[in-house]
Amino acid sequence: MCQRRKSKKENVVFAVLLLIGFSFIICGSCVPVNLVKTFVYYVAYPSVGTANCIFRFTGNLAENIKAMVHLHQENIMYKQINKELNDKLRNYDLMVKEYENVSEFLKLGKIENTVLIFAEISVREPHEWYQWLIIDKGEDDGLYNDLPVAMLSRDKGALYAVGRIVETYKTSSKVALITNSNCVFPVEIKDKGINCLAEGFGSNLLKITYIPFGANVKPEDEIVVSELSSVFQKGMAVGVIRDVMEETTDDFKTATGKVFFEDNILYKAIILVPQKKTK
Amino acid sequence: MKKIISYIILYIVFCLLQFSLGKYLNIFEIYPNFILIFVVYLGLLKGAGSAQLIGFLLGLTWDIFSTGIFGMKAVIFTVIGYFVGRASRNFDNGKIFAQSVIVFFFSIVYWVGSSFMGYIFYKGGNYAIGLFTLSNVVEIFVTALIAPVVFYILDLYV
Repeated sequence: MCQRRKSKKENVVFAVLLLIGFSFIICGSCVPVNLVKTFVYYVAYPSVGTANCIFRFTGNLAENIKAMVHLHQENIMYKQINKELNDKLRNYDLMVKEYENVSEFLKLGKIENTVLIFAEISVREPHEWYQWLIIDKGEDDGLYNDLPVAMLSRDKGALYAVGRIVETYKTSSKVALITNSNCVFPVEIKDKGINCLAEGFGSNLLKITYIPFGANVKPEDEIVVSELSSVFQKGMAVGVIRDVMEETTDDFKTATGKVFFEDNILYKAIILVPQKKTK
Repeated sequence: MKKIISYIILYIVFCLLQFSLGKYLNIFEIYPNFILIFVVYLGLLKGAGSAQLIGFLLGLTWDIFSTGIFGMKAVIFTVIGYFVGRASRNFDNGKIFAQSVIVFFFSIVYWVGSSFMGYIFYKGGNYAIGLFTLSNVVEIFVTALIAPVVFYILDLYV
Protein backbone atom coordinates (compact mmCIF):
# COMPACT_ATOMS: atom_id res chain seq x y z
CA MET A 1 0.00 0.00 0.00
CA CYS A 2 2.78 2.36 1.08
CA GLN A 3 4.82 1.36 -1.99
CA ARG A 4 1.87 2.12 -4.27
CA ARG A 5 1.35 5.52 -2.67
CA LYS A 6 5.06 6.32 -3.08
CA SER A 7 4.93 5.23 -6.72
CA LYS A 8 1.89 7.42 -7.34
CA LYS A 9 3.64 10.39 -5.75
CA GLU A 10 6.70 9.81 -7.95
CA ASN A 11 4.49 9.76 -11.04
CA VAL A 12 2.88 13.05 -10.07
CA VAL A 13 6.29 14.67 -9.41
CA PHE A 14 7.51 13.33 -12.77
CA ALA A 15 4.51 14.82 -14.59
CA VAL A 16 4.96 18.18 -12.84
CA LEU A 17 8.71 18.30 -13.63
CA LEU A 18 8.04 17.43 -17.28
CA LEU A 19 5.39 20.14 -17.45
CA ILE A 20 7.80 22.71 -16.01
CA GLY A 21 10.58 21.53 -18.33
CA PHE A 22 8.45 21.76 -21.46
CA SER A 23 7.04 25.14 -20.44
CA PHE A 24 10.67 26.35 -20.13
CA ILE A 25 11.36 25.06 -23.64
CA ILE A 26 8.26 26.65 -25.15
CA CYS A 27 8.41 30.01 -23.32
CA GLY A 28 12.22 30.18 -23.35
CA SER A 29 12.55 33.95 -23.37
CA CYS A 30 9.54 35.21 -21.40
CA VAL A 31 9.97 37.20 -18.19
CA PRO A 32 9.16 34.51 -15.53
CA VAL A 33 11.50 32.00 -17.23
CA ASN A 34 14.25 34.62 -17.40
CA LEU A 35 13.72 35.28 -13.70
CA VAL A 36 14.18 31.58 -12.90
CA LYS A 37 17.23 31.50 -15.19
CA THR A 38 18.87 34.47 -13.50
CA PHE A 39 18.07 33.14 -10.02
CA VAL A 40 19.54 29.68 -10.66
CA TYR A 41 22.55 31.26 -12.38
CA TYR A 42 23.35 33.36 -9.31
CA VAL A 43 22.94 30.28 -7.08
CA ALA A 44 25.06 27.94 -9.22
CA TYR A 45 27.79 30.21 -10.61
CA PRO A 46 29.58 31.30 -7.38
CA SER A 47 30.67 27.77 -6.42
CA VAL A 48 31.80 26.94 -9.96
CA GLY A 49 33.53 30.31 -10.35
CA THR A 50 35.27 30.00 -6.99
CA ALA A 51 36.39 26.44 -7.69
CA ASN A 52 37.82 27.56 -11.01
CA CYS A 53 39.74 30.33 -9.26
CA ILE A 54 41.14 27.79 -6.78
CA PHE A 55 42.24 25.38 -9.53
CA ARG A 56 43.78 28.19 -11.50
CA PHE A 57 45.64 29.62 -8.54
CA THR A 58 46.87 26.19 -7.47
CA GLY A 59 48.20 25.61 -10.97
CA ASN A 60 49.96 28.96 -10.95
CA LEU A 61 51.40 28.64 -7.44
CA ALA A 62 54.88 27.53 -8.52
CA GLU A 63 55.07 30.25 -11.12
CA ASN A 64 53.89 32.83 -8.62
CA ILE A 65 56.58 31.90 -6.09
CA LYS A 66 59.21 32.22 -8.82
CA ALA A 67 57.79 35.53 -9.91
CA MET A 68 57.84 36.90 -6.37
CA VAL A 69 61.63 36.56 -6.25
CA HIS A 70 62.00 38.89 -9.22
CA LEU A 71 59.29 41.22 -8.07
CA HIS A 72 61.37 43.56 -5.98
CA GLN A 73 63.84 44.40 -8.76
CA GLU A 74 61.05 44.87 -11.24
CA ASN A 75 59.25 47.13 -8.82
CA ILE A 76 62.17 49.56 -8.69
CA MET A 77 62.42 49.54 -12.47
CA TYR A 78 58.72 50.15 -12.92
CA LYS A 79 58.81 53.08 -10.52
CA GLN A 80 61.30 54.78 -12.81
CA ILE A 81 59.22 53.99 -15.89
CA ASN A 82 56.15 55.26 -14.08
CA LYS A 83 57.79 58.64 -13.56
CA GLU A 84 58.63 58.90 -17.25
CA LEU A 85 55.16 57.82 -18.31
CA ASN A 86 53.53 60.36 -16.02
CA ASP A 87 55.43 63.11 -17.80
CA LYS A 88 54.34 61.71 -21.14
CA LEU A 89 50.75 61.46 -19.95
CA ARG A 90 50.67 65.16 -19.28
CA ASN A 91 51.74 65.75 -22.87
CA TYR A 92 49.16 63.20 -24.07
CA ASP A 93 46.31 65.02 -22.32
CA LEU A 94 47.34 68.23 -24.01
CA MET A 95 47.50 66.45 -27.37
CA VAL A 96 44.02 64.96 -26.88
CA LYS A 97 42.58 68.40 -26.18
CA GLU A 98 44.32 69.80 -29.22
CA TYR A 99 43.05 66.89 -31.35
CA GLU A 100 39.49 67.47 -30.18
CA ASN A 101 39.69 71.19 -30.87
CA VAL A 102 41.13 70.66 -34.35
CA SER A 103 38.66 67.90 -35.29
CA GLU A 104 35.79 70.08 -34.10
CA PHE A 105 37.14 73.04 -36.05
CA LEU A 106 37.59 70.97 -39.23
CA LYS A 107 34.32 69.05 -38.58
CA LEU A 108 36.07 65.69 -38.82
CA GLY A 109 34.72 62.46 -37.31
CA LYS A 110 36.61 61.41 -34.20
CA ILE A 111 38.50 58.12 -34.06
CA GLU A 112 36.74 55.72 -31.68
CA ASN A 113 39.10 53.99 -29.30
CA THR A 114 38.60 50.48 -28.07
CA VAL A 115 39.46 49.34 -24.57
CA LEU A 116 40.69 45.78 -24.17
CA ILE A 117 39.45 43.92 -21.12
CA PHE A 118 41.22 40.67 -20.27
CA ALA A 119 39.10 37.94 -18.71
CA GLU A 120 39.70 34.43 -17.45
CA ILE A 121 37.50 31.61 -18.73
CA SER A 122 35.73 30.32 -15.64
CA VAL A 123 33.36 27.76 -17.15
CA ARG A 124 33.78 25.74 -20.36
CA GLU A 125 31.89 22.47 -20.55
CA PRO A 126 33.72 19.82 -22.63
CA HIS A 127 30.48 18.41 -24.13
CA GLU A 128 29.67 21.86 -25.51
CA TRP A 129 33.26 22.94 -26.04
CA TYR A 130 32.54 24.81 -29.27
CA GLN A 131 29.20 26.28 -28.18
CA TRP A 132 29.74 28.62 -25.23
CA LEU A 133 31.96 29.65 -22.35
CA ILE A 134 31.62 31.85 -19.30
CA ILE A 135 34.18 34.55 -18.44
CA ASP A 136 34.83 36.11 -15.06
CA LYS A 137 34.10 39.70 -16.10
CA GLY A 138 30.63 41.21 -16.20
CA GLU A 139 28.57 44.37 -15.77
CA ASP A 140 30.84 45.60 -12.98
CA ASP A 141 33.73 45.70 -15.46
CA GLY A 142 31.74 47.62 -18.05
CA LEU A 143 30.70 44.69 -20.22
CA TYR A 144 27.34 44.41 -21.93
CA ASN A 145 25.61 42.17 -24.46
CA ASP A 146 26.83 41.89 -28.08
CA LEU A 147 30.42 42.90 -27.37
CA PRO A 148 33.00 41.00 -29.45
CA VAL A 149 35.31 38.54 -27.68
CA ALA A 150 38.73 37.63 -29.05
CA MET A 151 41.82 35.65 -28.09
CA LEU A 152 45.44 36.60 -28.59
CA SER A 153 47.79 34.57 -30.77
CA ARG A 154 50.82 33.37 -28.82
CA ASP A 155 53.43 34.10 -31.49
CA LYS A 156 51.87 36.53 -33.98
CA GLY A 157 50.24 38.81 -31.42
CA ALA A 158 47.11 38.96 -33.60
CA LEU A 159 43.56 38.96 -32.28
CA TYR A 160 41.41 35.99 -33.30
CA ALA A 161 37.61 36.25 -33.30
CA VAL A 162 36.11 33.99 -30.64
CA GLY A 163 32.50 34.97 -30.08
CA ARG A 164 30.16 37.56 -28.67
CA ILE A 165 28.67 38.20 -25.27
CA VAL A 166 25.06 37.00 -25.14
CA GLU A 167 24.26 37.33 -21.45
CA THR A 168 25.84 39.67 -18.93
CA TYR A 169 25.67 39.23 -15.17
CA LYS A 170 27.23 41.24 -12.36
CA THR A 171 30.62 39.53 -12.28
CA SER A 172 30.42 37.11 -15.21
CA SER A 173 29.26 36.93 -18.82
CA LYS A 174 28.20 34.15 -21.14
CA VAL A 175 29.90 34.08 -24.54
CA ALA A 176 28.40 32.34 -27.59
CA LEU A 177 31.37 31.18 -29.68
CA ILE A 178 31.62 31.72 -33.43
CA THR A 179 31.42 27.93 -33.73
CA ASN A 180 28.05 27.91 -31.90
CA SER A 181 25.29 26.16 -33.86
CA ASN A 182 23.28 29.36 -33.79
CA CYS A 183 26.05 31.69 -34.98
CA VAL A 184 26.24 33.21 -38.44
CA PHE A 185 28.42 36.20 -39.31
CA PRO A 186 29.79 37.87 -42.44
CA VAL A 187 33.38 37.09 -43.41
CA GLU A 188 35.63 37.60 -46.40
CA ILE A 189 38.58 35.80 -47.93
CA LYS A 190 41.70 37.79 -47.08
CA ASP A 191 43.32 39.77 -49.93
CA LYS A 192 40.65 38.53 -52.38
CA GLY A 193 37.70 40.61 -51.20
CA ILE A 194 35.26 37.71 -51.58
CA ASN A 195 32.34 38.22 -49.20
CA CYS A 196 30.61 35.18 -47.74
CA LEU A 197 29.01 33.91 -44.54
CA ALA A 198 30.49 31.76 -41.78
CA GLU A 199 28.18 29.40 -39.91
CA GLY A 200 29.08 27.48 -36.79
CA PHE A 201 27.94 23.92 -36.15
CA GLY A 202 29.36 22.94 -32.80
CA SER A 203 32.80 21.77 -33.90
CA ASN A 204 36.15 23.46 -34.55
CA LEU A 205 35.09 23.94 -38.17
CA LEU A 206 33.04 26.69 -39.74
CA LYS A 207 30.79 26.25 -42.74
CA ILE A 208 31.60 29.01 -45.23
CA THR A 209 28.53 29.59 -47.37
CA TYR A 210 27.43 31.88 -50.19
CA ILE A 211 30.82 31.90 -51.90
CA PRO A 212 30.17 33.09 -55.48
CA PHE A 213 30.54 30.11 -57.83
CA GLY A 214 33.30 31.67 -59.93
CA ALA A 215 35.29 32.90 -56.92
CA ASN A 216 38.87 31.72 -56.59
CA VAL A 217 38.82 30.19 -53.12
CA LYS A 218 41.46 27.59 -52.25
CA PRO A 219 42.44 25.62 -49.15
CA GLU A 220 44.79 27.58 -46.86
CA ASP A 221 43.15 30.90 -47.78
CA GLU A 222 42.69 33.00 -44.67
CA ILE A 223 39.19 33.96 -43.50
CA VAL A 224 38.81 37.38 -41.88
CA VAL A 225 35.83 39.34 -40.58
CA SER A 226 34.06 41.32 -43.27
CA GLU A 227 33.27 45.01 -42.98
CA LEU A 228 29.59 44.04 -42.95
CA SER A 229 29.93 42.61 -39.44
CA SER A 230 28.17 44.58 -36.76
CA VAL A 231 29.96 42.78 -33.92
CA PHE A 232 33.61 42.23 -34.87
CA GLN A 233 36.13 44.67 -36.26
CA LYS A 234 36.87 44.43 -39.96
CA GLY A 235 39.87 42.27 -40.80
CA MET A 236 39.98 40.32 -37.52
CA ALA A 237 41.36 36.83 -38.20
CA VAL A 238 38.79 34.01 -38.04
CA GLY A 239 40.28 30.86 -39.55
CA VAL A 240 41.65 29.17 -42.60
CA ILE A 241 39.88 27.39 -45.48
CA ARG A 242 40.25 23.61 -45.30
CA ASP A 243 38.06 22.21 -48.07
CA VAL A 244 36.07 23.72 -50.89
CA MET A 245 33.01 21.78 -52.01
CA GLU A 246 32.28 22.23 -55.69
CA GLU A 247 29.09 20.16 -56.01
CA THR A 248 26.61 22.87 -54.96
CA THR A 249 24.05 25.10 -56.61
CA ASP A 250 24.78 27.07 -59.78
CA ASP A 251 25.25 30.36 -57.97
CA PHE A 252 27.18 29.56 -54.83
CA LYS A 253 29.61 27.06 -53.41
CA THR A 254 30.39 26.05 -49.86
CA ALA A 255 33.64 25.51 -47.98
CA THR A 256 34.76 24.46 -44.54
CA GLY A 257 37.21 26.46 -42.50
CA LYS A 258 39.15 25.70 -39.34
CA VAL A 259 38.95 28.33 -36.63
CA PHE A 260 42.15 29.95 -35.38
CA PHE A 261 41.11 30.48 -31.80
CA GLU A 262 41.86 26.93 -30.67
CA ASP A 263 45.50 26.74 -31.77
CA ASN A 264 48.48 28.48 -30.28
CA ILE A 265 46.58 31.05 -28.28
CA LEU A 266 46.94 32.59 -24.88
CA TYR A 267 44.06 31.04 -22.95
CA LYS A 268 42.52 34.36 -21.99
CA ALA A 269 39.51 36.06 -23.47
CA ILE A 270 39.87 39.65 -24.61
CA ILE A 271 36.74 41.75 -24.80
CA LEU A 272 36.84 44.72 -27.10
CA VAL A 273 34.82 47.50 -25.50
CA PRO A 274 34.32 50.64 -27.57
CA GLN A 275 35.18 53.68 -25.50
CA LYS A 276 32.20 55.82 -24.76
CA LYS A 277 32.24 59.27 -26.28
CA THR A 278 32.81 61.99 -23.72
CA LYS A 279 31.61 65.52 -24.25
CA MET B 1 17.56 17.23 6.87
CA LYS B 2 20.81 15.28 6.67
CA LYS B 3 19.66 13.81 3.36
CA ILE B 4 18.90 17.26 1.91
CA ILE B 5 22.30 18.63 2.96
CA SER B 6 24.11 15.64 1.44
CA TYR B 7 22.17 16.14 -1.82
CA ILE B 8 23.09 19.85 -1.86
CA ILE B 9 26.77 18.95 -1.38
CA LEU B 10 26.57 16.34 -4.14
CA TYR B 11 24.81 18.87 -6.41
CA ILE B 12 27.70 21.32 -5.93
CA VAL B 13 30.34 18.59 -6.35
CA PHE B 14 28.84 17.36 -9.63
CA CYS B 15 28.42 20.94 -10.91
CA LEU B 16 32.13 21.47 -10.23
CA LEU B 17 33.07 18.16 -11.85
CA GLN B 18 31.08 18.90 -14.98
CA PHE B 19 31.54 22.63 -15.48
CA SER B 20 34.75 23.62 -13.74
CA LEU B 21 37.08 20.62 -13.79
CA GLY B 22 36.14 19.64 -17.33
CA LYS B 23 38.12 22.56 -18.70
CA TYR B 24 41.34 21.17 -17.21
CA LEU B 25 40.82 17.41 -17.41
CA ASN B 26 39.29 16.83 -20.84
CA ILE B 27 41.34 15.03 -23.47
CA PHE B 28 40.60 16.36 -26.97
CA GLU B 29 37.26 17.67 -25.61
CA ILE B 30 36.35 14.15 -24.49
CA TYR B 31 35.09 14.11 -20.94
CA PRO B 32 32.67 11.78 -19.11
CA ASN B 33 29.14 12.96 -18.45
CA PHE B 34 29.32 12.96 -14.64
CA ILE B 35 25.83 14.39 -14.24
CA LEU B 36 24.35 11.47 -16.17
CA ILE B 37 26.32 8.98 -14.04
CA PHE B 38 25.07 10.65 -10.87
CA VAL B 39 21.43 10.64 -12.01
CA VAL B 40 21.67 6.96 -13.00
CA TYR B 41 23.30 6.16 -9.63
CA LEU B 42 20.51 7.90 -7.71
CA GLY B 43 17.88 6.18 -9.84
CA LEU B 44 19.36 2.76 -9.13
CA LEU B 45 19.93 3.26 -5.43
CA LYS B 46 17.32 5.76 -4.25
CA GLY B 47 14.53 5.26 -6.76
CA ALA B 48 12.78 7.54 -9.23
CA GLY B 49 11.80 10.28 -6.74
CA SER B 50 15.29 11.56 -5.84
CA ALA B 51 16.79 10.82 -9.26
CA GLN B 52 14.23 12.77 -11.28
CA LEU B 53 14.37 15.78 -8.95
CA ILE B 54 18.18 15.98 -8.84
CA GLY B 55 18.25 15.25 -12.58
CA PHE B 56 15.88 18.15 -13.19
CA LEU B 57 17.97 20.56 -11.07
CA LEU B 58 21.32 19.54 -12.57
CA GLY B 59 19.85 19.65 -16.08
CA LEU B 60 18.41 23.09 -15.41
CA THR B 61 21.82 24.31 -14.20
CA TRP B 62 23.43 22.96 -17.37
CA ASP B 63 20.74 24.67 -19.46
CA ILE B 64 21.37 27.96 -17.71
CA PHE B 65 25.10 27.87 -18.37
CA SER B 66 24.70 26.77 -21.98
CA THR B 67 23.39 28.57 -25.06
CA GLY B 68 21.20 25.67 -26.20
CA ILE B 69 17.47 25.19 -25.79
CA PHE B 70 16.55 26.24 -22.26
CA GLY B 71 14.85 23.36 -20.44
CA MET B 72 16.00 20.61 -22.79
CA LYS B 73 18.57 18.99 -20.52
CA ALA B 74 16.27 19.41 -17.51
CA VAL B 75 13.61 17.35 -19.32
CA ILE B 76 16.10 14.71 -20.51
CA PHE B 77 17.68 14.18 -17.09
CA THR B 78 14.23 14.07 -15.46
CA VAL B 79 13.13 11.36 -17.90
CA ILE B 80 16.39 9.42 -17.38
CA GLY B 81 16.07 9.68 -13.57
CA TYR B 82 12.46 8.50 -13.68
CA PHE B 83 13.04 5.51 -15.96
CA VAL B 84 16.23 4.38 -14.19
CA GLY B 85 14.34 4.55 -10.90
CA ARG B 86 11.45 2.55 -12.31
CA ALA B 87 13.75 -0.09 -13.80
CA SER B 88 16.09 -0.28 -10.80
CA ARG B 89 14.45 -3.41 -9.38
CA ASN B 90 15.35 -5.39 -12.50
CA PHE B 91 19.11 -4.88 -12.19
CA ASP B 92 21.84 -6.16 -9.94
CA ASN B 93 23.30 -2.78 -9.04
CA GLY B 94 26.41 -4.18 -7.39
CA LYS B 95 27.89 -5.68 -10.55
CA ILE B 96 30.38 -3.48 -12.38
CA PHE B 97 29.33 -4.80 -15.78
CA ALA B 98 25.65 -4.04 -15.10
CA GLN B 99 26.52 -0.49 -13.98
CA SER B 100 28.51 0.13 -17.15
CA VAL B 101 25.80 -1.27 -19.39
CA ILE B 102 23.05 0.82 -17.75
CA VAL B 103 25.12 4.01 -18.01
CA PHE B 104 26.02 3.14 -21.62
CA PHE B 105 22.36 2.65 -22.52
CA PHE B 106 21.24 5.88 -20.85
CA SER B 107 24.15 7.79 -22.43
CA ILE B 108 22.71 6.77 -25.80
CA VAL B 109 19.25 7.82 -24.59
CA TYR B 110 20.74 11.16 -23.58
CA TRP B 111 22.35 11.85 -26.98
CA VAL B 112 19.39 10.56 -28.99
CA GLY B 113 17.03 12.61 -26.81
CA SER B 114 19.20 15.72 -27.19
CA SER B 115 19.37 15.46 -30.97
CA PHE B 116 15.67 14.61 -31.27
CA MET B 117 14.56 17.54 -29.10
CA GLY B 118 17.07 19.81 -30.81
CA TYR B 119 15.59 18.80 -34.17
CA ILE B 120 12.03 19.52 -32.98
CA PHE B 121 12.48 22.69 -30.95
CA TYR B 122 15.45 24.41 -32.52
CA LYS B 123 14.46 27.10 -34.96
CA GLY B 124 17.25 27.54 -37.49
CA GLY B 125 20.96 26.97 -36.94
CA ASN B 126 22.95 23.78 -37.33
CA TYR B 127 21.98 22.23 -34.00
CA ALA B 128 21.16 18.65 -34.95
CA ILE B 129 24.22 18.24 -37.17
CA GLY B 130 26.77 18.67 -34.39
CA LEU B 131 25.26 16.21 -31.93
CA PHE B 132 26.37 12.89 -33.38
CA THR B 133 30.09 12.98 -33.95
CA LEU B 134 32.95 10.57 -33.34
CA SER B 135 33.83 12.39 -30.11
CA ASN B 136 30.26 11.88 -28.84
CA VAL B 137 30.51 8.14 -29.49
CA VAL B 138 33.86 8.00 -27.67
CA GLU B 139 32.32 10.03 -24.83
CA ILE B 140 29.53 7.49 -24.43
CA PHE B 141 32.11 4.70 -24.01
CA VAL B 142 34.25 6.80 -21.64
CA THR B 143 31.18 7.64 -19.53
CA ALA B 144 30.22 3.95 -19.33
CA LEU B 145 33.77 2.91 -18.41
CA ILE B 146 34.21 5.54 -15.69
CA ALA B 147 30.74 4.91 -14.19
CA PRO B 148 31.74 2.00 -11.86
CA VAL B 149 34.52 4.16 -10.33
CA VAL B 150 32.05 6.99 -9.63
CA PHE B 151 29.52 4.47 -8.29
CA TYR B 152 32.17 3.08 -5.93
CA ILE B 153 33.10 6.55 -4.62
CA LEU B 154 29.43 7.49 -4.22
CA ASP B 155 28.81 4.22 -2.35
CA LEU B 156 31.38 5.30 0.22
CA TYR B 157 29.75 8.70 0.65
CA VAL B 158 25.99 8.25 0.28
